[in-house]
This record gives sequence, structure tokens and C-alpha cells, in this order.
Amino acid sequence: MSFLDRLGRERLYCDGGTGSLLQAKGLKGGELPERWNLTHPEAVRDVALSYFNAGSHIVNSNTFGANRLHYPDQEELKAIVEAGVRHVIEARREAGREADGYVALDIGPTGRLLKPMGDLGFEEAVELFGEVVRWGAAAGADLVLIETMNDTLELKAAVLAAKENCSLPVCATCVFDGKGKLLTGGTPESLVAMLEGLRVDALGVNCGLGPTQMLPIVKRLLAASSLPVIVNPNAGLPRMEGGRTVYDLTAPDFAAAMADIARAGAHVLGGCCGTTPEFIRAEIAATRDIPFVPPVPERRSVVSSFSQVVEIGPRPVIVGERINPTGKKKLQAALRANDLDAVVALGLSQEEAGAHVLDVNCGLPGIDEAAMMAALVPKLQSVLALPLQIDSSSPQALETGLRLYNGKPLINSVSGKRESLDAVLPLAAKYGGVLIALPLDEAGIPADADGRVAIARRIVDEAAKYGIAPEDIVVDGLAMTISADSGSAQVTLKTLRRVRDELGLHTVLGVSNISFGLPQREAVNAFFFAMALESGLSLAIINPSSAAMMAAYRSWLALSGLDDNCAGFIDAYGSQQGSLFAGNAASTAQAAAPKGEGTLADSIRFGMAERAAQQAAERLAAGEDPMAIIDGTLIPALDAVGKGFEAGTLFLPQLLMSADAAKAAFAAVKEALSGQSRAVKGTVILATVKGDIHDIGKNIVKVLLENYGYRVVDLGKDVAPEAIVEAAVAEDVKLVGLSALMTTTVSSMEDTIRLLRREKPDTRVVVGGAVLTSDYAARIGADRYAKEAMDTVRYADEVFG
Amino acid sequence: MPEPLFEVDRREAFRYLGLRGAEPDAATARAVEEALTLLNDAVEPKQVSRRFPLKWLDDSTLDIEGLRVGSRALARNLSDCGEVFLMAATLGLGPDRLIARAQAQGAMSRAVALQAASAAMIEAWCDRVNAELKRQAAARGQFCRPRFSPGYGDFALECQAGIFRLLGVQKNIGVTLTDSLMMLPTKSVTAVIGIADAPAIPCPTGCAACGKADCAFRDERKDDQI
Repeated sequence: MSFLDRLGRERLYCDGGTGSLLQAKGLKGGELPERWNLTHPEAVRDVALSYFNAGSHIVNSNTFGANRLHYPDQEELKAIVEAGVRHVIEARREAGREADGYVALDIGPTGRLLKPMGDLGFEEAVELFGEVVRWGAAAGADLVLIETMNDTLELKAAVLAAKENCSLPVCATCVFDGKGKLLTGGTPESLVAMLEGLRVDALGVNCGLGPTQMLPIVKRLLAASSLPVIVNPNAGLPRMEGGRTVYDLTAPDFAAAMADIARAGAHVLGGCCGTTPEFIRAEIAATRDIPFVPPVPERRSVVSSFSQVVEIGPRPVIVGERINPTGKKKLQAALRANDLDAVVALGLSQEEAGAHVLDVNCGLPGIDEAAMMAALVPKLQSVLALPLQIDSSSPQALETGLRLYNGKPLINSVSGKRESLDAVLPLAAKYGGVLIALPLDEAGIPADADGRVAIARRIVDEAAKYGIAPEDIVVDGLAMTISADSGSAQVTLKTLRRVRDELGLHTVLGVSNISFGLPQREAVNAFFFAMALESGLSLAIINPSSAAMMAAYRSWLALSGLDDNCAGFIDAYGSQQGSLFAGNAASTAQAAAPKGEGTLADSIRFGMAERAAQQAAERLAAGEDPMAIIDGTLIPALDAVGKGFEAGTLFLPQLLMSADAAKAAFAAVKEALSGQSRAVKGTVILATVKGDIHDIGKNIVKVLLENYGYRVVDLGKDVAPEAIVEAAVAEDVKLVGLSALMTTTVSSMEDTIRLLRREKPDTRVVVGGAVLTSDYAARIGADRYAKEAMDTVRYADEVFG
Repeated sequence: MPEPLFEVDRREAFRYLGLRGAEPDAATARAVEEALTLLNDAVEPKQVSRRFPLKWLDDSTLDIEGLRVGSRALARNLSDCGEVFLMAATLGLGPDRLIARAQAQGAMSRAVALQAASAAMIEAWCDRVNAELKRQAAARGQFCRPRFSPGYGDFALECQAGIFRLLGVQKNIGVTLTDSLMMLPTKSVTAVIGIADAPAIPCPTGCAACGKADCAFRDERKDDQI
């Protein structure tokens, strides 16, 4: 029988540890174990043989760390992978286990952290796993087992690599700590959501813990998962003994603890570090007679990020709609200027306002939507833990977002049009996600609920052909303005109820569409929102910063018995002064803030951002000229702080608090400037050099330069010399600032300066970073060494002065 | 509020903020306390350490289970040792995420306070790990030398890869190395701690032992003040 014929139908057993067995045969601690596939074939074959003889069904190839980062010589790597698989095949034959033994191509982590937190590119990771998969599959592996992963993004790269390079079953297990967390923040539930979306065949946990500590995690995996669960613990907890790592469980202790895990319902059992064939033999004897319970489909609708899970229903979910440039001039300008920070700020403010999921749409004429999606999704995920809704009408941009997304997203959207079904359903099937279905087709939007429900039904049937489960589909009720058709709201609400009752599916609305063309739209939107919730709406795409919408949502939850003791409502509004409807929440908060003592200059000196913004606004309201506020107050106040810092009477935190306050005041004044802008002293390019991912120093300099009137082109971190030179030429800048933190990256700083000298000789270069000194800076050809935060500002004043 | 995980030396955090031994003003002190509170909920301290035999190939070249290190500074530090502890410790990705978030919110002052406070915190965590290793050595009547990390003096960063392999750092505590040998999460430390049969003759450590006299973070207090 094939592996998949048995997986989930009976209890299967994996192998145990290999490292300690190879070490017993002479492998050194610092030696790369996979090379032994070529140098010590008998030893590697013996280990596999001993596991087949102990009763393991699934035995791993000795290829855990076999990838090009550890073995740069491609010929050697290929030989190692092929030999690794071959040794297990031969051991299986020798053990006489050809009928019920399976060879797993073992894949471990790269040892590198993926972007955006790390420096390894996603596609680079897919490629380096992919070649191993191709060689291993061709050599005769029966399945791919990805294990010991602690970053779900790297895990996703490995799963995609497996799926794209072979047709073998794919299993994946991760390392959890004692608190049930992955090292990158994931939980059992978030892991299950992502892996089910990616359609692995089994999932689970290995390494890190002993079986007793693993039991609570196993229970959570089993509760969340519709797939078979694999459990490969260490032989207890490690301790040092005579310079060797030993584990605290004996084989019988381990087997007894594994019996608890079998009784909890785990489907595939084995071992990891410290376990030996003796452990596996004891484990099999102790669990063989425990009844096997096949996995059952959970049928829940969940989306996830790298660390959070949001379940759709029974509580309705808020999707923040604001990262969508349609009709938003400011966001359009930010996207055109590639100002991703502004987009991230929109995300943060929606999270604060109470959104559970964030919509991400970056479709705008004149920008490369797929490239923007590729930049935006990792950027947002580096700062925000909320799940995202990948939203695009371009299948290419949609796929880019789905591919790079760390988790299981909402997908917006598919319609009943043939072209849309053919383009979007395969993407949803491949990458996973909860798919928004628009019940419209080539004939347009049906005018009644009958027509919409019929199309929704058709989409569900089409999706089923791709194996997409109904719980992974939410149907849009299609809110359309009542100003054009006064019956449209009723059709939409009826559609919601019928989809819920007849199709048993969740529903979604872009709520505010209901009021286009009307005055006081917020009033209509909020009332319609409450009606829709009462009609079963599960996902609401709204502006969470609208006080009226969130009030409708929280009131509805309280009135529907979904807010115990009204705790959520009281938490949100208990300290609210005056009426919610007297103005928006922000202005209420501002009115409540005490009128500060002291001047605007004092607020900047003491770093009080909110008060500085308020005072600037008050002075504008009193009729003062914006330029006079800038030149007469803000700049002198900043300058005093800068001088204090240079004199050593003020320190970096105060300098930056003042900078934050000045920035807030500038922002308030800038709005009043409308049109006439503050004179720009000059443009400066800033970058952290290639190979270096520390950007805090560079960002400090950026804030200060901007406050002092410079325009900063921020190229980010890990920037190649060519990209810096290209930008310097394109912007024709006089000054480039480079940052490097480590001795190992100062060489890329030197390369950058050399290339700049050749291609753009009139540009000056100022450098900074912890390992630099003025001598060192001079030696690599820089014009100036900036030791402290203000030095770059002073140098810029010299260059542009 | 949960109990602090371990006591963090505020003066270390102030030093990373460039105070060089000066008294912090109220705003700076408050910023550091707020950062420590945030960090306390976000850090996941982990460590891995192991004892290894130390072989001397010549008077400045060492071999630790196949990891060859040519470094006069390290050799001086380990001069009478026949064994070493290797250790790796991390606070996890929490501090990196908090710092990225503060920067995305445009709150640079919070970002630098988090940066300094988490740098002081990883030192405190290393001190605690180090103290446990000292205790283990003392139980056998042995003594530990001050911990010494790749990147100090002429102890090349290139040795990181070897230490990572010997300790299984990525697998055990989730710390990774970039191409340019930076550790991620950034609040991570690896170190060598010499094990000797006799107590050490007192000698300068920390900033006092470092030749980079114009470092912005140099602790200008004398050794006996620390």
C-alpha cells in the first residue's frame, strides 16, 4: 500500500534521532553529518536499517542540513542528497520492509532567517529547497518530510518548493517551546491554518521538548487540525554529562509518555534528539493496542498571520478597508512616491481602532501593482501581526501577495465570471486562504437574491472541483447604493440571510457602498451595518476609524449576547467624555486633553508631541502665518535642542523626543501651508549598506535631517552599491549617507564609495556606524565620519550651505 | 504587571544611549523604564551552552572540537585553560519586532530606548547564564575566565559559523546567521568562557580592555568604579 493509503487510517511510526547514533560511530560535533552519506555509507545505512528493524514505517534520509548554504559545491550536494535517499532504500530492502516501509526525504531549516526580519529572500529559499526536492524525488523518496522548522515563512517556502518540484506527499513538523510558541511567534492554531491552506498531507511537532511537555501542544494541534498529526519528541529534557548531551528519559519512560500522546489521538509517532531504535521499539510496543482515531474535518473558517488566528463566526469580523487607494488622494501619492511607511501607518491606526484583519489593495494606474504588493505584504507583516486580506483584480498581483504572505489570508476576490474562476480558483487552491466570492457573472449583478444565491452556489461547485472546501468561501452580499435603487439594501440583506440559511456559508459586505451619493453617509452606513449584522453578516469591510461604525458594531455585539457582561463595550467607551456622536473620537480626545502650560517651543524642548501639534494648530487658528511659526519657533527650538545635544547637556532620547514633537508640529503646519511648501535645503540619500540589516542609526539621521529641512531619499537596509549609485545619479544628489554596523559590512561600504567615486564623482559621502572611526572612515574613502546623530545634519549644512 | 524576568542594569542602557556615565534626566530614565516594561512581555530568553576540550596548536591558535581560532586576544584570555564553555543566548524576535514597530510609528525616541534597554537586557541574560556556568565549574573546583565573544579584538566573526555548528544554535534556540555573519534575532550573543584550575589574576575587562578609545559607547568610569 502507498504511504497515503495508510496515513490517517492507521497509526504509523517514524524513526528517532540520528545525530547521536552517527556520533557513536565517530561523527565529530562540528562535522557536517550529511557528508557521511559519501564518506561513511555503511554507517548511515546501518542507522536506517536499525530503525526499520525497530519497526519504523517512515525513515528519514540523512539530508537534514543538505542545502547549498551548507554545501556550496553543487555536484557534491547532489551526490549527498541522492546517496542519502539511496542508503534508506537499501536499508529498507535489507530489512525486508519494502511492503510497509517508506523513505522520507528529510528537509531541515536553512539556518537563515527570511526577509523581512532576516536577509534570505523568499524565492531564494524556494529555489534552494527545490533543488534538493528534485534530486531526492528522482532518487526514489516516497515522501518529503520538512521538520524542525521554527519560522512559518521558511516552512511555507519549503512546502511550496516540495509541491512545485515533485508530486510526493508532503509532511511538515515544527519546533514549539514550552509555552506553545514557535520561535517566530506562531501558535499551534496559526501553524495548522497555514499548513492546511497549503495542503500538506500531515503536520505536527518535533524536537525542542520531551513527550510530557509536548502533550498540551499535541492536544491543541489535534483540536485545530483536520489532517493527521505527527509527534516526534526528544527523549525528554537535555542535560550535560561529561561533555555530552544526554536526555533524562529512558526508553520505557519515553514509551509510557508516548502512550499518553497516542491516547490523546496523535496519528503518527516517532522520536527526535536522544531517541534510538530502542526507544522506537518500546514506543511501538506501548502504543500498538491503543485504538486509532482517524482525523475528522473541523469545518471552521479561519485566517491567520504568522502569529494570530482569526476565526470567522460566530463573532463577526472587522476588515479594515483603508489600505486601498481608490478615491484616496493621500494614499495614492504615498504609493506613487513608494512611501511604504505611510501605508504601514494606516495599518497601525486601523489595528488600534479595532480591526481584526487588514485589506491590502495597491491597484493604481501607473504603478506596477505586483511589485508594490511584493514590497507591501512583507513590510506590513514586519510590523503588524493582524491577518491580511490580499485584494487585487490582477491575478498576477494576487498571486504575488498570496505567495509572500506569512499565514493564511483572506483573498479578495473571485466572481462567477469564467475568466475569474479560471484565474483565481487555482491560486486559492495552491496557496490557501478564505476566498471572497462575488455573486456576479458575465450577465452582470443579479437584481434579486435568487440570482445572487444561484451564482454563489455555482462558485461553490466550481471551487469544489479544485478541492476548495465550502468553509473557505465567504459570499459577498454586494451592497449597492440605495441612492440609485431604493430596494437595493433589502436585496443585499436577503442575500445574506439566504446564503447563511440555504448554503450554510459565511458572508461579507463592503458596507459603505450602500450610501454613495447621499449626505451624512456615516449615519446610513452605521444603520445598514447593524441591519446586516442582524441578517448574519460575518465579515464587514469598513473603516474602523469611524466612530459611528465601531459603535454600531460594539452595540450589536452587546445586544446580541456576544459581549459577556458588556465588557467589550464598557472597555471601549467607559471613559468616553460627552456624546460619541458630538464629533469624531479624535477631536473628543483632544478636547479632553488639558490645555498645556508653556509655549510651543517648550513642548518641543520637552518632547511633547501631542501638545506641540495642538499648540501649532491653535496658533494657526489664531491667524498666525505658517511660515512664521516654522522659522520663528520650530526651527529655533529644534536648534537649541541640537546644540544642547552637541554640548553634552542633552542626550539622544531627548533629542529624538524633541524631533518627534517637532515632526508632529510640522505636520500640523504643513496642512495649513497647502500649496506653498517649506523650502527644501537639499536632497540627501540614506542607506544601510549591503549585507547589513541594522537600520536604527540610519533612521535617526533621517528624522533629524527631515526636521532640519532636508528631503531624504531613504533606500532602506541591505542596499546594493549599484542601487545606491543609481539613485544618486537619478536624483543628482550632492550628499549620500551610508551606515554599517559590523566589520563584515564595512567592506560593502567601501565598495559603494568606490563605485560612487567612479560614477558620480561630485557626490560627497558621510558614513556612520558602531565599528567606524574617523581614521577608518578616511581609509575607505569617505568624506566625513559622523560619530553622533547630529554630525550628519551639520555636515549637510556645510555641503549645502 | 508580571515580575521582571531578571534585573537589568539601567546604567548599561544609559550607556548605550550615549550618556557615558552621566546622570540621566527624568525623560530618559522614564523612556528606559517604559521600554523595559514593553520588553518584559515580549522577550523569550533562551540559551544553549556546552563544555568542550581546548587544544593549543601554537601560542595563539586554538582548536575547539575542530573549530580552529587564531586570535591573540582570545589566547591571552584563555592562557591557562584546558577546557572552555561555549554559550549562545538570545532574547528572541520580540525586541526586534518592538523596535521595528516603534520605527514604523515614527517614534524614534521609543525605538532607541528599546534598542538600548534590550541591549542591556541581553547582557543581563548572558550574566545569568554565565553565573550558572561558573557555578558548574566551581562544583568541580574550577574557575571561569571572563566571557569573550567573536568580534572582540582579533577574535574573528568568521568563527560564528563554527560555534553555531558546535552548539546547534539555530536548532536549539532559533538564532540564525546572515551572510555577513550577523545574528538574528539581533539581541543574541555567543561567547567562549575559559575553564581553568586556578583563579585568574585580575586584569581589565569590558571597555577598559578594549583599544577603541573613541567609541561613542565607551564606559568612562574607571574599572574599580564598575
